[in-house]
Amino acid sequence: MPPDSATQANAPPAADLSSDELELARLIVSALNLETAPEAIAPEEPLYGEGLGLDSIDILEMSLAISKTYGVELRSDDPENERIFRSLRSLNAYVQARRAR
Amino acid sequence: MKRALVTGASGAIGAAICRELAAQGRHVIAHAGARGEAVERLAEELRAAGHSAEAIAFDVTDADRARACLARLAEHAPIQIVVSNAGLYRDAPLPGMSPAQWREVVEVNLNGFFNVTQPLLLPMIATRWGRVVAVSSVAALIGNRGQANYAAAKAGLHGAIKSLALELATRGVTANVVAPGVIDTPILGGAFPPERIKSLVPMQRPGTPEEVAALVGFLASERAGYITGQVIAVSGGLG
Repeated sequence: MPPDSATQANAPPAADLSSDELELARLIVSALNLETAPEAIAPEEPLYGEGLGLDSIDILEMSLAISKTYGVELRSDDPENERIFRSLRSLNAYVQARRAR
Repeated sequence: MKRALVTGASGAIGAAICRELAAQGRHVIAHAGARGEAVERLAEELRAAGHSAEAIAFDVTDADRARACLARLAEHAPIQIVVSNAGLYRDAPLPGMSPAQWREVVEVNLNGFFNVTQPLLLPMIATRWGRVVAVSSVAALIGNRGQANYAAAKAGLHGAIKSLALELATRGVTANVVAPGVIDTPILGGAFPPERIKSLVPMQRPGTPEEVAALVGFLASERAGYITGQVIAVSGGLG
């Protein structure tokens, strides 16, 4: 039987980037001058340390770029930062929920 | 044309640094705290010589005002060279030093460095090229009677610069300290008569502001791109 198209329609397979996530990935790669291709960033891989290997200044630069592009403020002293910045997927979810439309 | 901010440019060393950077083809922003007229005249002198320069005046200890002035300056384009040279001394032996003497010197020399440098860093980092130079003193390396406050504040710059150098190493920005020794400037006054200099300084003469500016200019140049986190004295062998 074919899969129920209603349940499959909105959720991308976990390893692929949604279009929002890809847009965010492109912003990050450009703002941080990364050598990785945006499409190659695994959405669940860590941003800090291993995975993308970003450091605290990268996070600062990223926050500035996100603020300019999406109008979403990210504060360096937010206790939720570890959760927000855990992966591209979690960061994107945070940004999409708060962006100025 | 890269933009360079030099604080404390109304002093002899600051002015010499401005001349050196202007000669290197930088757009020089000459800053003074109180002596705005002196840096206006300096900027005019540099422009008359065919260089690119402007003057600005604000109190480096006023964090909000510094941030506002710097934001306006950087609107045009990021400032990629910062020379934190503004300084102040209020000498007294520590057992007789007042809280105000301690505080003022730390405010201008150390907190002033933060107030001027910090706001310029993220824009500088975004260009992936930058130079931060803090002007210290041999007093911070070997101490000086009557200057515990000055030596403390200047030595504080060393720790800050070394940490900053590590943070920015992957981003094309270097950070270094230049520590002048006994330099022939009006500030010296009568404190260093020739006999004292002969006995204190291995080269037996004071340095010139140009000799300090030459090192600052080199560190701020493209050629010094692999030098970072260093404290280098210009002191004729002292310290």
